[in-house]
Amino acid sequence: MPRAMPRGLSLEQATRRLAVLLVLPTWVLLILVFALPLAGAIWLSFRNETLGSFVTPRFIGWENYRGAFADPRFWESIRTTLFFMVAGLAIQLPLGIGLALLLHRNLRGTAFFRSALIVPMLLTPVAVGLMWRFMLDADFGIINWALRHVIDSPPNWLGARIPARFAVVMVDSWISIPFVMLMVLAGLSSLPRGPAEAAAIDGAGPLAIFVFITLPSLVPVILVIVMIRVVDVVKLFDILFIVTQRGGPGTATQTLGLLTYNTGFIFFQTSRAAALGVLLTLMVIPIYFIWRRVGRAP
Amino acid sequence: MTGPTRTLMRTLGTVASYAALILAAFAALFPLFWTISTSVKPRADTFVLPPRFFDFEPTLRNYEAILATRGFAQIYWNTLIITAASTALCVAVSTLAAYALARSPGFRSRGALEVGLILTRAVPTIVLMVPLFQIISRMGLYDNHLMLIVMYAAVNIPFATWLMTSFVAQVPMALEESAAVDGASRASILWFVVLPLILPGMSATTIFVALLTWNEFLIPVMLAGNNAKTLPVFIAGFISARNLDWGPMAAASTLAILPIALVTVIAQRKLVSGLSTGAVKG
Repeated sequence: MPRAMPRGLSLEQATRRLAVLLVLPTWVLLILVFALPLAGAIWLSFRNETLGSFVTPRFIGWENYRGAFADPRFWESIRTTLFFMVAGLAIQLPLGIGLALLLHRNLRGTAFFRSALIVPMLLTPVAVGLMWRFMLDADFGIINWALRHVIDSPPNWLGARIPARFAVVMVDSWISIPFVMLMVLAGLSSLPRGPAEAAAIDGAGPLAIFVFITLPSLVPVILVIVMIRVVDVVKLFDILFIVTQRGGPGTATQTLGLLTYNTGFIFFQTSRAAALGVLLTLMVIPIYFIWRRVGRAP
Repeated sequence: MTGPTRTLMRTLGTVASYAALILAAFAALFPLFWTISTSVKPRADTFVLPPRFFDFEPTLRNYEAILATRGFAQIYWNTLIITAASTALCVAVSTLAAYALARSPGFRSRGALEVGLILTRAVPTIVLMVPLFQIISRMGLYDNHLMLIVMYAAVNIPFATWLMTSFVAQVPMALEESAAVDGASRASILWFVVLPLILPGMSATTIFVALLTWNEFLIPVMLAGNNAKTLPVFIAGFISARNLDWGPMAAASTLAILPIALVTVIAQRKLVSGLSTGAVKG
């Protein structure tokens, strides 16, 4: 449709020229805050900079990477990150999907429940983290007070390795389930009703309809959720910083992101931290290819 | 199944649904209730077991302690002003980019931009902090409001662009074409035709970005000192104290959550529909 624009360009051509200008501010910000620091991290990762050291910084090749791979804490932090992803999704997907299905029934009062259920994802994570710490306290926390009615010695949530890991998964899930629920709810409301109704007429029960009709059509939404949750667990910081005080007890809840932080800003090994950061970046790159398949969802 | 059995099953299903929803709502709201309740409890009642849910003399002493903290007004003001400025910057920049992404399938640098956006969303901010901390310190920008505003805006751009792209895509192309036929310039089409139609989407995006900015912790904890300190950093400061002072901490948390609660009550419909649109049609 060659419709004339003032300068004799088609609308499409004009839009294409305009587009290049419109994305300029975004480019400036991405380069300043993302590309340059990333280049800086790569540069630093080949040097031996440490804060407060008297050694003159110089290039040391792959030394920081070799050091990282040889460090058992590096592998432990990767296992911890994977545990948070897998355990988190195992809790968040079923509960999020379940709650979305309940809300999708549109019972009386759904608007109230929907508002109440999205509250956790909106609150300040730092405040949420402190409150959970308070509630999870082994001695005077309200959670163990409640548990003592059921079991004799409830876990020392933040003082022991395994319970601390589950505590992190629990707090992370509390925050994230509303997100999963909203995404699935949006997916459900865009589904055509026809197939489910036809199956119901043919005598299929609610469970069969869910397993064979609803769930398969939710697969794209679920993939997007999994992708975003994987990214967000890699980025998890506030909760770990507050609830387990930077990955404690010991290194029990230290993810790779947190190991990067602790290396760089607690132990001041700047260059080693940069190398860990570069490795972390390499690990999230595959996300891009998944994103290309499932659609736009940064 | 006979008629009565079916009715019974349906009733049971409804009862079970409500039970599950009530349980979930309790789990979602209890920590909020507990924060607010702790914030108005006298210190002696904060640590007693069994916990005091309602049987205590409410007091505002924790709030008085927080408000009397030196610099608290400055911290609250910092958080407000940084949130407002950074959200405005982020939404403006993202809307422009979103228009390009939604309307022009093949403009130059599109592919690279998409990679850049997704990586910015995926790469943990902590990775960027290692070099940024040095760069920003050397440039004398540490603890600077403007630096924080730009940083916050940049990290939220991928999310905002993603939401805005789906809103722009919903505006029928035909409207723009007919305006072009009528001789409207490219800029006036954007301003007078597209902008009014994406305003609802922009306000949803604004609310989300403002929430993320208000809650942001990693950037200010690394790059701000006393001058530009924000509320989440102030609240986190309570854990480094040896004696955890839960009362004032809960009061500070409540003050941080207050604006969020207001926004949620006012704009909850927008929040839900905003995320839903972005989620499915994106």
